[in-house]
Amino acid sequence: MELSSVEEGTPSVNITTSEKVVELLNQAALMPTDEKLTILKQVQELIINKDPSLLDNFLDEIIAFQTDKSIEVRKFVIGFIEEACKRDNELLVRLIANLNMLLKDESVNVVKKAILTLTQLYKVTLQWLVRVKTISDMQEACWNLVTQMTGDVLILLDSENDGVRTHAIKFTESLIITLSPRTAESDVPKQQEGGISLDRVPKDHSYIRYDTLCEEGKTALEKLLTFMIHPAISSINLTTALGSLATIARRRPMFMSKVVQAFETLHANLPPTLAKSQVSSVRKNLKLQLLAVLKHPCSLEFQGQISTLLLDLGMPQSEITRCTPTPREQRKRPRYEQYTEGKKVKIEPALIEDDEDKEEPAPIPVSKPVAVPVAQSAIDLTAEFLRPLLNPENVANLVLISMVYLPDVMPASFQATYTPVESAGTDAQIKHLARLMATQMTAAGIGPGLEQCKSRDDEGGREEEEDSDTKDHAVKHKIPSEMVGQAISVVGSYTGKPLSTEAPAVKKLPEPILPSAQTKMSGAGGRKKVFRLSDVVQPFSDSQIEVLTSKAVKRILLSEKAISQSGMSHVRVKLLSRLVTQFDGMMKGDVLEFILDDIRTRSDLAFSLLYQEYNTYLSQLPSGLLDSYDHCLYTLLSGLQEKPEQKDGLFTKLVLEAPIITESALEVIRRYCEDESRVYLGMTTLKELIIKRPSRQFQYLHVLLDLSSHEKEKVRTTALAFLKRMYEKDHLRDYIEKFALNYLQLLVHPNPPSLLFGADKDTEVAAPWTEEDVRQCLLLYLSLLPLNHRLVHELASVYTEAIADIKRSVLRAIEQPIRGMGMNSPELLLLVENCPKGAETLVTRCLHILTDKVAPSPELVERVRDLYHKRVADVRFLIPVINGLEKAEVIQALPKLIKLNPIVVKEVFNRLLGTQHSEGSSSVSPLTPGDLLIALHNIDSSKRDMRSIIKATNLCFAEKNVYTSEVLAVVMQQLMEQNPLPILLMRTVIQSLTMYPRLILFVMNILSRLIVKQVWKYPKVWEGFVKCCQRTKPQSFAVLLQLPSAQLESVFERCPEMRAPLLQHVHSFNPHQQAHIPASIVAVLEANKTPEPKPEEPAVEEETDQALDTLVVEEPVVRTPADPDIPSQQNLMITKVDEEPMEQEEADHIAQEKALREILQVELEKASETSHPDPDSAEEPMEETQPEPSDYQKSVKDPESSITEAEPGSDSEEVV
Amino acid sequence: MPSHPLRVAVVCSSNQNRSMEAHNILSKRGFDVRSFGTGSHVKLPGPSPDKPNVYDFKTTYEQMYNDLVRKDKELYTQNGILHMLDRNKRIKTKPERFQLCKDKFDLVVTCEERVYDQVLEDLNSREQETLQPVHVINVDIQDNHEEATLGAFLICELCQCIQHTDDMENEIDELVQEFEEKSNRPFLHTVCFY
Repeated sequence: MELSSVEEGTPSVNITTSEKVVELLNQAALMPTDEKLTILKQVQELIINKDPSLLDNFLDEIIAFQTDKSIEVRKFVIGFIEEACKRDNELLVRLIANLNMLLKDESVNVVKKAILTLTQLYKVTLQWLVRVKTISDMQEACWNLVTQMTGDVLILLDSENDGVRTHAIKFTESLIITLSPRTAESDVPKQQEGGISLDRVPKDHSYIRYDTLCEEGKTALEKLLTFMIHPAISSINLTTALGSLATIARRRPMFMSKVVQAFETLHANLPPTLAKSQVSSVRKNLKLQLLAVLKHPCSLEFQGQISTLLLDLGMPQSEITRCTPTPREQRKRPRYEQYTEGKKVKIEPALIEDDEDKEEPAPIPVSKPVAVPVAQSAIDLTAEFLRPLLNPENVANLVLISMVYLPDVMPASFQATYTPVESAGTDAQIKHLARLMATQMTAAGIGPGLEQCKSRDDEGGREEEEDSDTKDHAVKHKIPSEMVGQAISVVGSYTGKPLSTEAPAVKKLPEPILPSAQTKMSGAGGRKKVFRLSDVVQPFSDSQIEVLTSKAVKRILLSEKAISQSGMSHVRVKLLSRLVTQFDGMMKGDVLEFILDDIRTRSDLAFSLLYQEYNTYLSQLPSGLLDSYDHCLYTLLSGLQEKPEQKDGLFTKLVLEAPIITESALEVIRRYCEDESRVYLGMTTLKELIIKRPSRQFQYLHVLLDLSSHEKEKVRTTALAFLKRMYEKDHLRDYIEKFALNYLQLLVHPNPPSLLFGADKDTEVAAPWTEEDVRQCLLLYLSLLPLNHRLVHELASVYTEAIADIKRSVLRAIEQPIRGMGMNSPELLLLVENCPKGAETLVTRCLHILTDKVAPSPELVERVRDLYHKRVADVRFLIPVINGLEKAEVIQALPKLIKLNPIVVKEVFNRLLGTQHSEGSSSVSPLTPGDLLIALHNIDSSKRDMRSIIKATNLCFAEKNVYTSEVLAVVMQQLMEQNPLPILLMRTVIQSLTMYPRLILFVMNILSRLIVKQVWKYPKVWEGFVKCCQRTKPQSFAVLLQLPSAQLESVFERCPEMRAPLLQHVHSFNPHQQAHIPASIVAVLEANKTPEPKPEEPAVEEETDQALDTLVVEEPVVRTPADPDIPSQQNLMITKVDEEPMEQEEADHIAQEKALREILQVELEKASETSHPDPDSAEEPMEETQPEPSDYQKSVKDPESSITEAEPGSDSEEVV
Repeated sequence: MPSHPLRVAVVCSSNQNRSMEAHNILSKRGFDVRSFGTGSHVKLPGPSPDKPNVYDFKTTYEQMYNDLVRKDKELYTQNGILHMLDRNKRIKTKPERFQLCKDKFDLVVTCEERVYDQVLEDLNSREQETLQPVHVINVDIQDNHEEATLGAFLICELCQCIQHTDDMENEIDELVQEFEEKSNRPFLHTVCFY
């Protein structure tokens, strides 16, 4: 090749070629690519052409360049391999593997060059090996590798690179020719006259098998044919393939029939991907190749088909005729008949009328009638089948039917290539039409021809038949389904054509529509190239992918409305949830945000997403993580929680339908519950969870329990309400109870444990207990208490250990639940019965609470009584149940009771008197008010100090509503009848009179009767008697007059001022009356004539008289005209009574008493508004009532006389 | 094919106007370019359409120039023939016939369909040895000076694009389609093998 340059490069004759080569190779190693190539070419020339003996020496050095960076250098190596192997075939063994490597080079240009070289070396190898009779192992391996490389190149027919495919086609062509026998009719290029072909391969070769090679050749041809009908073949590949087929047809006429048929098929079904100009190029090429085939002498049989095609391709008939081989060549036909599938008998006479004269001298085909029908291809059969059917009527119908499929606008390419049908309706044209249709139908896989072929195939037959059959099958089977559709539409188009041209001409029938129609279909670009995805796409960067996916998801998100209108929302929802769960990244957040924007309408998406996440988790078990699911659920719930309230309960729904509630989700639920406005909804949800998710119910329950001591009142109470309901469920009871008791137990600590403040550790904090802390510990327990009374014992045991502050708080807190338990609770009764040591106050408190509003039940009373008598003799126990006790018991306890704190005493009295509450009347006191007062009088004053008794009676007198005048009258009556007379009798009488002045007559009566009972024998009482008389003058004058003289004397001793008025009184009597007065009395009266009292006295006496008269006259009780003096007296009395305790009270009671006094003070002031109290006259009546022992002695002086003298008084009293 | 300069042949009928115009431009742009005619003779316009000046391919441009100067200098100056010949002779000595050239090209550009056909016919009639592919592209150019100039630029642009492809064979198909659209004229394109 580069001979000239080599000549120039060797000016010096002195150095040997070998030295020169070494020098050049050394240079080459350091040179840039261009110069390196030049030098390498020189080397090649030197060692291959000039001195081949050097070839072996430098082979390795040259081959080493096959890894050069430069493509051109690598290509050079390939060229070198080729030249070297051609020069010395033995080198094939060494070099073929290198070629194989280069065949797989990353550069397509190297690969292409390798294919070209293999094309040459295949023949060289075969030729070389065929010559050798016995093949060495090395040679065998070499041939095997060559065969393998052949297969590799055939596979490259499907390469992605257009150029590589083109080279592969050419290789295939060469392979086919090599692997088929050269015949006499074969065109043989001059240079290849000595070349290898199948016929040169001996059938008895030791290693290379003739049959195998023959089959390989046929397979290659099938591959090539299949390749050519690929619908997406590029125009260059198609052109190449056409040329190759034409070459094959000329050099191996035995394949001519297949080639011509392939041309026919191609012509009718040009690939749809070709652009308009490409169609022109291909058609031009087809025409050229057809002409080349036609020129071959063996084309005689196919002249009909070929010339029809040429006519369709626009070649004038004259030129076709000019190119048709002369009849001289027909003589050779019989000799290659065996390789062809003779259909000329049928076709030729009809089709090519011009050639008829030439056909006539060929009778020989008739001599092989058997071969003809058998060899008919599917197209032939179908064409024959169609031909009689193509009458004008059928054709017209076909045209009409297919009108529908015609494009609206005539395709440009059709317009460009259309030529009017010249011989419409002639036999030849009908035949042509039938054949065109048959081609289409066969390509589409339909028609009787195909079916016959198939059945024929089944039967088996001669080699040629099989050959043609396999080809037909290959054609049929290789048609992809989309191609079938196209082919069918094409059939329609074709039949339509004759109508549009109204069948005036035959020639130009079919071709252009196909490409043009398809051009339209495949887009405006019109550019037709085999589309290979990898050519036009590049991998995106991660961030691009991220952005694009995110955008894509967003579009799906935003298509919400449109999709819902189409009713396919569920698909969208599913799609989204799948997408989002399968791929990580931003979109998860986007979707969640989108959902939360309008959760109400997008809840289905939310659920779908959630389930999908869970599903993913499940599918990854056991190693899967819940993180993603957790995040999803958490975000959704938090979103719902943070949103303003919804009423549709989505939150609840989401919680209840979520497959798993994670920790963080539970936290959200908790927060939801802590929201005061949603606490109910939240806890309802929680409750549902507890009930419906048994596996983790205690976890949920714990949250609710925690909330029961929440700082917010509302949260707390709601939680407690829910817990109370839960508590009724057996399986939850224990847990709740334990929790409550744990909290309760905290109370035994001297300081509140940090547990209460949220920390987990049970360390104690120095802060003291607050009321709030205590409540926190108690709340749950207390709300459970009414449901389970047994728990009360726990409280008692804790109570005994607790510090005083806590005790106080507990006592305050238990009111409600204890009341809820009721006094009939057996447990409570048991508690009372057992009353642990230290829990007395608790029990008392309970008793108080129980009996606060209701009368104590007998059982309770019984327990208390029992407790009192047998274990703790604390009278305070009795107070709450005092109304349930027997009268005797009360009276027995009374002395102890009145010794208690005055407030307590007051309460006792309230209970006894029923004055405590409005409904107090319902409980029946064992003592009537009168009984009580009497009982007080009867207390042994030696046991209880008098002061307590007086205070107790004062309490009674304070209850004016209870101690009415009637009650007091009865009390006085009964007291008076006792024997001995109670010490406090006269005090009570005076007090009663003070309260109720109208009782004066009754009191007079009492006084009279006391005289009968010789009152003077009881010094204290007597003292009071005198005092009373003194206060009640002048009414008491009548009583005084009833006294025996000795006692009267005693009166005057005590109250000398009484004498004069009494005497005056007696003087005012009429004589008759005076006569009744015993002389002794008169004597006493007059014994000590003291000066007269003041002149105004008589008026008073008269008044008193009148009053006395009235009393006597009128019926028993009281209607005395109000005496102006009496109110003031009364006030005075009260004041005195009131003030008395003050001075004598114990110091520690002062404060309480103060309060009482203040109350009374107020009353006093009220009273003083109406009357005018006289502070100066404030005496101490009680003081006086306190009997001095000396007084007592004195007053007992002459009891007899007084009794007797009292007689008349008692008479008069009886009258009253 | 960056490392391998594109071997281009531009072919018209007489290797005078269109192919030489393109040859001129392409060589100025550094292409490895040659030009040819495919006709049996070299024809130049004569005094009337039916009387062309006909030479064989052995005649140099110089000779033609001198001949025409001698025949009617004014006419051939006016119609630009002399100017054309003058340019041609500075590019190469004489017109060449494509069919007689056995050199190998990567790309053959023809200037009218008839020439394209002749090129194909010639290439196909040759015996294939190396099987190296050669792409043949036809660009229709009217045979006058103006169109020749425009056509030459188009061919030049096409060649430049092809030269710059990474893998010519894989991309040429698409490239030709693009040019077809851009120039709004149909291109014929095929491949032959040496």
